[in-house]
Amino acid sequence: MYADYAYLIVAMPVLAFVLCIFFGWHLPKGGGFFTVLATFGGLILSLGIFKEIYPDKIVHQSIPWFANFNVGILIDPLAIVMLLMVTFVVTLIHTYALGYMDGDPGAARYFAEAALFTAAMLGLIYSDNLLQLFIFWELVGLCSFLLIGFWYRKPSAAAAAKKAFLTTRVGDVLFLAALVLLYNNMASLNLALKPGEYLLQFPVIYAHIAQIPPTQLTFIALCLLGGAVGKSGQFPLHVWLPDAMEGPTTVSAMIHAATMVTAGVYLVARMFPLFYAAPNALTVVALIGAFTGLFAATMGLTAFDIKRVLAFSTVSQLGFMMAGLGVGAAVGVAAVGVSIFHLIGHSFFKALLFLCSGSVIHAVGTNDMREMGGVGKYMKWTAYTMLIGSLSLAGFPLFTGFFSKDEIIKIAYEYGVQINYLPYIMLICAATLTAIYTFRLWFVAFTGEPRSDYHKHESPWIMIGPLVLLAVFALGFGFFAQSGFYQYLDTNFEHYGVDFHALGVIGGHISEAGAAGGEGAGEPFIVKILPYIIAIGGILVAMLFYYWHKLDPGLVTSERDPIRRLLLKGYYQHEIFTAWFAETVVYGVAILFNLIDIKIVDGVLNKISEVTVGFGGNLRKVQTGVVQNYITAVVLGIVVLVIVIEIGMKVGL
Amino acid sequence: MNYISLMIAIPLIGAIISFFTRTRAQARMVALIASLVPLAISLQMYMGFDKTSKIMQFVESYTWIPSIGVKYTVGVDGIGLPLVLLSTIVSVLVIIYSWGEDKRPNQFFALLLLNEVGVLGVFTALDFFLFYIFWEIVLIPMFFLIGVWGGPRKDYAAIKFFIYTHVASLVMLLAIFALYFTYHMPDGSRTFDMLTLLQATADPKIFPPGLLNIIFAGLLLGFLVKMPAFPFHTWLPDAHVEAPTAGSVVLAALLLKMGGYGIFRVILPILPHVNKIFVTVIAIIAVLSIVYGAFLALAQKDLKKMVAYSSVSHMGFVTLGAVAFTWMSIQGAMFQQFSHGLITCVLFMSAGTIQHTVGTRVIGDLGGLADRMPKFAFLMLAGFLASLGLPGMSGFVAEFMVLTGSYATLPVFTMIVVFTSIAVTAGYHLWATQKVLFGPILKKYLQVHDAHSYELFSMSMIILLAILFGVRPNLITDIMGVAAYQVMGPVVTLTQMGVI
Amino acid sequence: MIPVELYILLASIMFTIGLYGLVTQRNGIKLMMCIELLLNSANINLVAFSANQPNVDGQVFALFSIALAAAEAGVGFAILISLYRLYGTIELDNINALRW
Repeated sequence: MYADYAYLIVAMPVLAFVLCIFFGWHLPKGGGFFTVLATFGGLILSLGIFKEIYPDKIVHQSIPWFANFNVGILIDPLAIVMLLMVTFVVTLIHTYALGYMDGDPGAARYFAEAALFTAAMLGLIYSDNLLQLFIFWELVGLCSFLLIGFWYRKPSAAAAAKKAFLTTRVGDVLFLAALVLLYNNMASLNLALKPGEYLLQFPVIYAHIAQIPPTQLTFIALCLLGGAVGKSGQFPLHVWLPDAMEGPTTVSAMIHAATMVTAGVYLVARMFPLFYAAPNALTVVALIGAFTGLFAATMGLTAFDIKRVLAFSTVSQLGFMMAGLGVGAAVGVAAVGVSIFHLIGHSFFKALLFLCSGSVIHAVGTNDMREMGGVGKYMKWTAYTMLIGSLSLAGFPLFTGFFSKDEIIKIAYEYGVQINYLPYIMLICAATLTAIYTFRLWFVAFTGEPRSDYHKHESPWIMIGPLVLLAVFALGFGFFAQSGFYQYLDTNFEHYGVDFHALGVIGGHISEAGAAGGEGAGEPFIVKILPYIIAIGGILVAMLFYYWHKLDPGLVTSERDPIRRLLLKGYYQHEIFTAWFAETVVYGVAILFNLIDIKIVDGVLNKISEVTVGFGGNLRKVQTGVVQNYITAVVLGIVVLVIVIEIGMKVGL
Repeated sequence: MNYISLMIAIPLIGAIISFFTRTRAQARMVALIASLVPLAISLQMYMGFDKTSKIMQFVESYTWIPSIGVKYTVGVDGIGLPLVLLSTIVSVLVIIYSWGEDKRPNQFFALLLLNEVGVLGVFTALDFFLFYIFWEIVLIPMFFLIGVWGGPRKDYAAIKFFIYTHVASLVMLLAIFALYFTYHMPDGSRTFDMLTLLQATADPKIFPPGLLNIIFAGLLLGFLVKMPAFPFHTWLPDAHVEAPTAGSVVLAALLLKMGGYGIFRVILPILPHVNKIFVTVIAIIAVLSIVYGAFLALAQKDLKKMVAYSSVSHMGFVTLGAVAFTWMSIQGAMFQQFSHGLITCVLFMSAGTIQHTVGTRVIGDLGGLADRMPKFAFLMLAGFLASLGLPGMSGFVAEFMVLTGSYATLPVFTMIVVFTSIAVTAGYHLWATQKVLFGPILKKYLQVHDAHSYELFSMSMIILLAILFGVRPNLITDIMGVAAYQVMGPVVTLTQMGVI
Repeated sequence: MIPVELYILLASIMFTIGLYGLVTQRNGIKLMMCIELLLNSANINLVAFSANQPNVDGQVFALFSIALAAAEAGVGFAILISLYRLYGTIELDNINALRW
């Protein structure tokens, strides 16, 4: 019964968007309660649907749209867990925003855009076909553009918004290419579709993956991956994500935790059968993911901006999720459950961390952690909820992040045993660095003496409440939900009858005869305890430097250290991408074309008209306007004519 | 009911009345009424249109000049009707947008109405003679709109526009004459009937390949210049930059569509019978228009010029979709015509509003206008997003259909377009909006006020339509689906359809 | 009876003189006189042929022509007088305001 109203999950936030944009200006808090109610309604509906379909049903509704396409709703285990997570986290973030955005003159605009953002993300999750997913995907990009540029009077915010949109747009181009390729490959199979079936519907795609040529599958998978890389801030398209904190902190929380960046991971998970069947595609996913995990973690070590540290940690954790999917080449479809579990756990503690940092920034008035110090004394709730979030992010045993990250590292090890140890090594390093930079942040900001004069007060309850709820989930979700979650998600593709063994043969992961690799029971002891060691060890290292002050960071690095400069500058990616590629190469080509257009294309035209006009100008001199000349010409003409006729007659023509 | 004749006649009468009015209030009221009536008629036609039928509908046919086989034949099918609808919608909105026109308002509105007459005639004429007359009628109001109400270099722009497109039209006319003089009716007489002549081109005994290739090239040139496609596009930026806002809107939204309409109506039925090299040539032209136009737009400093080049780029999708010759791509190309016609209005209206409230269109001199013009900024942003192909608005549907459909026959060209132009397109749209609207407000613009209500009304209507057709593209694509089949199949004459 | 050839000869001489004057002269009055010569040479021909083969049509035409010539002379001289008032000359070479 709830499933019949599934469309409301998107429709309600859209309605909230309309209400806020037209009436929010006259309402207290910019009409933000519309947005909160709409998302909360979505949460209730999602819970109702979950209750109906758990454990073995799915919801699929579809109506025709235009040409060969449809719109539809597909709620399977993968979609429902995402729906629950997004509605839950976003409801809390919106509630928090009621306090955080209070008094901002643009609050109505904020809540309108936030509602649209939520709607787009929810629509993306339960789309039943790839085109619809792409449309919501782009709308998510649009909303991120609007929200990152929320304070549009700030040039840096406007620039960051543009950068976010354009960078993700590069990924979207690849996604679009994937759509075009996939559609044409499906169309060329000449399938006899039943009524209500469309070429780009996921069930139809799943059913016919095996018929598409493997090389085409690899192209499609890599293009899809390109889209995911753009949206999920993977290397090399992650450059927009650290800048995206130019928006209000709640926006960062939404982008980094619940919406937007998870879309890329979700896309790969949604298309996992295709990736699994495409030779080499998952290897690329694993390598990009693991590399991003390590790469971003190194940058997180040096940043001073509290939100920037968190942003790099998001990039890094998304790398973990991608790697988790990528190593599915070895462990099969179980990788989807592992990766999505980390995604959801991460969204709890990352939302928590961002909202806490928002709370701190709200009080202190700066993002720079060097100016904070000792905040914990005055903001107890914020400090301890943030501590829970940090422990979870660092992977401290028994916290949510430990269970989810540990599992990814474990399957990465299996992948190493079977195929390649590189992802495993990079992930281990990244996990260690994660623990260090997370606690560097916490210790520097919350302990020690105040380093500047700031407002020493706790945030209002409407902001603290969501923090506490999120902290509960960041603490307990992993412990209580893990096994049930894996079981539930493992059934996801059974609903469509996807034969992973056959697909694995096409993808070259498993031989025709054998089962999918070893069960991985024989992990050495060191591999089993390594996650404990790196989590606790990393935290201890951070304590040595930043809490007990036994060691001076200056011992390791100095202002002039080139490696540090490289990290601070984000490996000069901004310089390479924006300054060199966008401004020099693309704009240079544009200028060159402009020159060609003016000088050659238009120049030839003007030359032609010049010649014509010149010819006419000379010819008109013949027309003297003196009647006598004309008469002379007439007389001479007659004489010539007469002579010619006479001669003609003589000759006898 | 003689819907079509009525629809063409009323703006014509309105133009004459408007011309002789004394005050601006009278002129614009006459114009509004004379454009609302055709809108009502075209909506009535849309309602009464049989979406599944393959025959021409609302056909009227009268003998006109029997001695040379000229008839007054008008009618619409799935190719023409969306464009008729577009013309009537845009005409109304552009008249509302120009509500505050001060300079010779009676003549201004008369010319806008006359323009509507010509455009509607082109989209409905089924006789080459009639078609050509309407085709040329359109030049006159546009020439005067640019030449009288234009900017500093209006004389140059008006003459360039007139001569360039006129020369192309003459080449087209020669090709039409070649068709006319080559084909005999069974009874020995000659005809200008469009469908009869197009059907005859399929017969190599009547039109030997060599001759048909030449005819085809002539027709193609006429349409490509109007589109405009690379390398025949240079009249467009000049004309746009100098034209008044209403002129630019009409030029981009309607006049360019005449070229596209010609492609579907005349070029595609002949395409299967001419040398295959033409497909490659047209595809190259299309891809160059898209990519080159996008890069050129990026290089422009004048907002209006940027928008003008974006038109070149977007119209390239029409050419690409048409020449790819698949059901999906043709439909997409037709939809792109409709969609671009709507969206480009907002873009030119934005440029126009900025010009007359702020006084400059140079992107580098603008900044932070969202601060003083919030409503305008919202609409302009929406328009630019629609133009860059944001899903949920009509532009995306069109481009997606073109790209998806074209890949089947022109995979390489399609992929070139996808990988080079789409990100660049997003780039210049965003760069311009960001520079113009966002950032701190410049001191010199502190006194700027928001746009007039009638301007905001026109823009918001178009945004709503763009969203409507982005969410429910089937309102239009249902009609085009049948038309696309028709375009790909053999031509059927009105007599064979049983219409006359 | 004078043979018609002599009339034609006279008319030819007059026509040639008129044409010569028309081509070489620049003075407005002289041009008018030359045009009169041309017209009258035509009239002579008309009348001569009319008398030669009994038919009055030619003489009627000649009368028309004379009337026309009078009108032409009236308009022409009026224009010349206006030009003289405007420019102070009737040398046509100097009157070139409308020339390129």
